[in-house]
Amino acid sequence: MVARLAPLTIKLLRDVWRLRGQALAIALVMAAGVGMVVMSYGMMRSLAATRDAYYARFALADAWVPLRRAPDSLARDLARLPGVAQLESRVSAAAMLDIPGIAEPVTARLHSLPGAINRLVLRSGRMPQAGRGDEVVASEAFVRAARLSLGDRLPALVHGKRIELRLVGTVLSPEYVYAVAPGQIFPDNRRFGILWMAREPLAAMLDMRGGFNEALVRLAPGTPVEEAIRRIDNASAHYGPSGAYGRDLQVSDRFLSSEIEQLATTVRILPPIFLGVAAFLLNILLARLVDTEREVIGLLKAFGYRGGAILRHYGALALLLSVGGVLAGWGLGTWMGHGMAVMYQEYFTFPFLTFVAGLDIYLLSAGLALLAVLAGAAGAVWRAQRLAPAEAMRPPAPARYSARGLGDRLVRLLPDEPSRMILRGFLRRPLRSAASALGLAMALALYVASASSTDNVERMIALAFERGQRADIAVAFAEPRDAGVVRELASLPGVQRVETYRSVAADLSHGPYHTREGLLGLPRGAALMRMVTLDNAVIEPPQEGAIVSSQIARKLGLAVGDVLNVAVTEGERQRFTLPVVQVIDVPLGASVVIERGALARRLREGNVASGAYLMTDPAQAGALYARLKQTPMVAGVSVAAAAVRGIRETVAQNMGIVTLFNTLFAVLIVAGVTYTGARISLSERARDLASMRVLGFRKGEAAFVLLGEQALLALAALGPGLVLGVAMSRYIAASFSSDLFLIPAAVSAATLARGVLVVALAAAATAWLIRRSADRLDLVRALKTRE
Amino acid sequence: MAEGRVLYRTTGLTKSYGEGASAVHALRGVDLEVHAGEMLVLLGPSGSGKSTLLNILGGLDRASAGEAWFEGLELTGLDDDGLTEYRRRSIGFVFQFYNLIASLTARENVQLITDIAENPMRPEEALALVGLEDRLDHFPAQLSGGEQQRVAIARAIAKRPEVLLCDEPTGALDSKTGIRVLSALDTINREVGTTVFIITHNAVIADMADEVIRFADGAIASHARNDLRRSPTELAW
Repeated sequence: MVARLAPLTIKLLRDVWRLRGQALAIALVMAAGVGMVVMSYGMMRSLAATRDAYYARFALADAWVPLRRAPDSLARDLARLPGVAQLESRVSAAAMLDIPGIAEPVTARLHSLPGAINRLVLRSGRMPQAGRGDEVVASEAFVRAARLSLGDRLPALVHGKRIELRLVGTVLSPEYVYAVAPGQIFPDNRRFGILWMAREPLAAMLDMRGGFNEALVRLAPGTPVEEAIRRIDNASAHYGPSGAYGRDLQVSDRFLSSEIEQLATTVRILPPIFLGVAAFLLNILLARLVDTEREVIGLLKAFGYRGGAILRHYGALALLLSVGGVLAGWGLGTWMGHGMAVMYQEYFTFPFLTFVAGLDIYLLSAGLALLAVLAGAAGAVWRAQRLAPAEAMRPPAPARYSARGLGDRLVRLLPDEPSRMILRGFLRRPLRSAASALGLAMALALYVASASSTDNVERMIALAFERGQRADIAVAFAEPRDAGVVRELASLPGVQRVETYRSVAADLSHGPYHTREGLLGLPRGAALMRMVTLDNAVIEPPQEGAIVSSQIARKLGLAVGDVLNVAVTEGERQRFTLPVVQVIDVPLGASVVIERGALARRLREGNVASGAYLMTDPAQAGALYARLKQTPMVAGVSVAAAAVRGIRETVAQNMGIVTLFNTLFAVLIVAGVTYTGARISLSERARDLASMRVLGFRKGEAAFVLLGEQALLALAALGPGLVLGVAMSRYIAASFSSDLFLIPAAVSAATLARGVLVVALAAAATAWLIRRSADRLDLVRALKTRE
Repeated sequence: MAEGRVLYRTTGLTKSYGEGASAVHALRGVDLEVHAGEMLVLLGPSGSGKSTLLNILGGLDRASAGEAWFEGLELTGLDDDGLTEYRRRSIGFVFQFYNLIASLTARENVQLITDIAENPMRPEEALALVGLEDRLDHFPAQLSGGEQQRVAIARAIAKRPEVLLCDEPTGALDSKTGIRVLSALDTINREVGTTVFIITHNAVIADMADEVIRFADGAIASHARNDLRRSPTELAW
C-alpha cells in the first residue's frame, strides 16, 4: 500500500506549487546571493591556494636585491647572512625588441636563466642550450600576443648593443604571474615581454662577467623579511642602486594579492544585498499568506492542531520556497567560479588554476541563506502559530485608513481616486513600501557601481594621458644623458617637440617610516608631462620643496610643512631634505616631484636627463618607431596610444563580463521585488480592482492602480539608488586603489541614465506579466467573496 | 403603472458550465422582457439561476447560447471591451458585501465613478439621496454595514445609470438597516426612474416590486405582476 501523505504535507506541496511564480522570484534573488558567496570565497581560496602552490613548487624568491654591479664574491657573502636560506645571483637588463608586425618598439625584461629560485615552467619548445648565446625563452603570454613562433629571430637592442636573439621555447614564471611594464597597471602582453637567456652571453653583453646585478633570496622559515632585508642592504651598500625589497613590493605579487583582497570587497557588498532582498520578499509573501489563511489556521487549531504544527507548516513552506534558491546558487556559483578561473588564467598567467570551493563554502553559503530565510519568515510564521482559533476564524478587521494627518492631506491634493488609492496604500504600509523602494534602489546602485568601473578607468585615462602625460611617446634612456640629447631626438622623423625629465631612485624617509621611490624632476611650464590631480587641477612643480602624492604621504606619515629625508640610491648617493609643499591625489604612479633645476642642484650635476617626452606627427609614426628601435641610447619606449588601447582592451575584457553579470543581477532584483510586490498587491487589491472593472473601468484603468503603485515605487527608488550607486562606486574605487594607482570615482551621466533605463525596463517588463493576471481577474468570484 | 419601452429582451438564454454528461446548466433557455423604469425582484433558491441571469444582463458574464438585448444592443454579441463600455455607460451594481474601496472615503468612492461617467450627479448629491450627507469624509471602516451599503448604492446611481442591479443587497444586514437600504433603492426607482433589479432570498421584499420573477432549476418558474406596490417601510421580517 502506498503511504498516505499527511493533509498538511499535501497542503504544503500545493501551496508551493500555487506560489511557484513568487517562489521562483525569491529563489533567483537568493541564488544570486548564494552564488556570489560560493564564487567569491571559492575564487579567493582557489587563487590563494594556486598562488601558494605555484610559488612553493617553483621557488619564488622572498626578496629581490637589485644592484648596480657586484662581484660574485658578494653573492657568497650575502648567502652567509643569518636568515638567508638560499641565494642566487642573476644578470638582468632592459631590452628593446623589433618584432615584425608590431610597429611600436617592444619593451622587454631580459634575465639570465634561473637555477633553483624563480624556476621556470617550460610550456613549449626547449630551454636555451649552454653555449648557444642567442637562444632565449620568452613568457608565453607575450609570445602569443606578439604572434611569435618558435625559431623566430628577434632583433634586440640591449645595453646599447644591437643583437639578434632566437626564440626556442615559451615559459611561465612565478615572478611574472602579472606581467606589467614598469609604470603600467594593466598588462600589455603585445608590447612588453620577459625573456630569459644563458647567463654567460648576457653578462658579456652587459660587461658583467664575473659579476651580477640582481640577487634572489629565499629566507629560512620564520625569518622576518624586514630584518633580512636590512642585513642584506647593509652588506651590499656599496653596490646599490635601490636596495632590496620583499614580496610586498614585488609588482606581480602585489597585483595578485590585491585582486584576492578585491574579491573580499565583492563578498562584503553583494551577497548581503541579494540575501537582504530575498529575506524581504519572503517576509512580505509569508505575511500575506498568513493573512489570507487566517481562517484555515483557525480551523486547524479548532480541530486540535497545536501551535507547533502550524509553526512547522509555515516554517517548512519558507524553507521549501528557498531551497531551490540555495541549490541554484550553488550551481550558479560553481559555474561562475569556473568561468572566472578561465578569465583569471588569461589575466594572471598560472600554469594551472582550478576553481575549487570546498564543502565548507557551500555550507557557509547555505547557512547565510538560512539566516536570510529566518530573518524573512520568522515574524509571519510566529504570528501564524500565535493566532487564537476564535480570532483566526473572524475575518481580519477591515483596513483602517485615517482622514487625518499630513499624509492624507497630501493624498487629497491628488486629482483622481485611483491615484489616491495608490498613495494611501503606500502610506498604510510605510515600512513595506520603503523596503521595496530600497530593494529597487539597491538594484540601481548595483548597476551604477558596476557599470561605472568603465567610467572610472576612462576618467583615469583622461587625467593621466589627456591632461597629464600629453606626450605621444615617452623614451627612457639607458643611462642618464646630457640634455643636449634633445637636438638628437628632435631630428628624428615626425618629432615636433621634446621635453626631457630627470628621475633618480631614492630612499625616502620621515621619522620611523621609509620607502623606496623615484624622485622626478620636471621643468616648470612643461607641456608634455604635467602633474594632474584627481580633481583635474594641473600642478606646477614648486621652486623649492616637493609635491608628494597622497599614497606616499600616507605611507610616510607626511603632511604639508613636514620635511622629507631623501637618500639617493644611485650615482653619487647624495642625501638631502625637501620640505613638503603640497600633497596631491594623482591617478597613476606614486611620486615625489620637484623642480628640475632644484633636483640638478641637489644632485650637483648639470643639465642631465633620464628620458624624454616626445610630441610627434602620427603620420610619421612608422618611420620614427623604426629609428627608435635602432637608437642605442634608448632603453625603453612607451607609446601613449598603445598603452591607452591596452588599458581599454583589458577593461573591456574583464569588466565587461563582470558588468554584464551585475546588470543581470540588478534586473533579477528588480524583477523579484516588482513581481512579488505586484503579486501581493494584486491579491490584496483583487476586490478593489474587480469592483472597478464591474463599475465600468477599463482594464487599463483598473491596472493603473496596480502598476502605478509599482511605478511609484520604482520612481521613489531612483534618487536613493543613484546616490547609493555613486557612493558604492566611490567605495569600490577606493578599495580597488592601491599605492600603485588611484582610481578616480567618476560616474558618468550616461551610466546613471542607463541605470535608470535598466531598472525602468526590468520593472515595466515584470509589471506587464502581472498586468495579464490582473486582466484575467474573475470579476464575479472576486466580488462574491467576503472581505 | 403604464408599461414603458422594452429595456431588456432575452430569448432562449442559456448558460452552462462544463460539457457532456457532467455539464452544469445554470440557465436553461430563459425568455424575458423587462420594461424601463420598473422595480423587479428575483426570488429563488441558491443555484436557481437568478444571479447568472443578472450577471449576463449586467455584462459580467457571457451566455452559452440564446440572445440578450439591451434596447438596440445585443449583449450576447459583445466582446470583453464592449461589455466594459456597456457597464460603464448604463449599469450600476450593488453587491451583498458592498465592495467599497477601503482606501477611499465615502465621497471618493462615489467620485471614483463620477470621474468616468458622462453626465453624473455630484457625489454629495448621490450620497444625500441615500441619507449620508453627513458621512462624506468617512472611510468604509468607519461606517456601519447599512451605511456602507448605502454608499455602494450612491456609488452605483451617481452616474445616472439606466439600470441598477442589486445582488442580495440586504443579505448582510439586519432588518431595520435592510429596510433603510431598500428605501433608498425605492426612492431612486421612483424619483430618478432607474430600472432596479433586486435578487433576494427574502420573499417579503417581493411586495415592494412591480414584477416578481421566481427562479427554479435554471428557468423562470413564475413571472407575476404586483397590483399594489408596497413601500419598504411597510415591510417587516
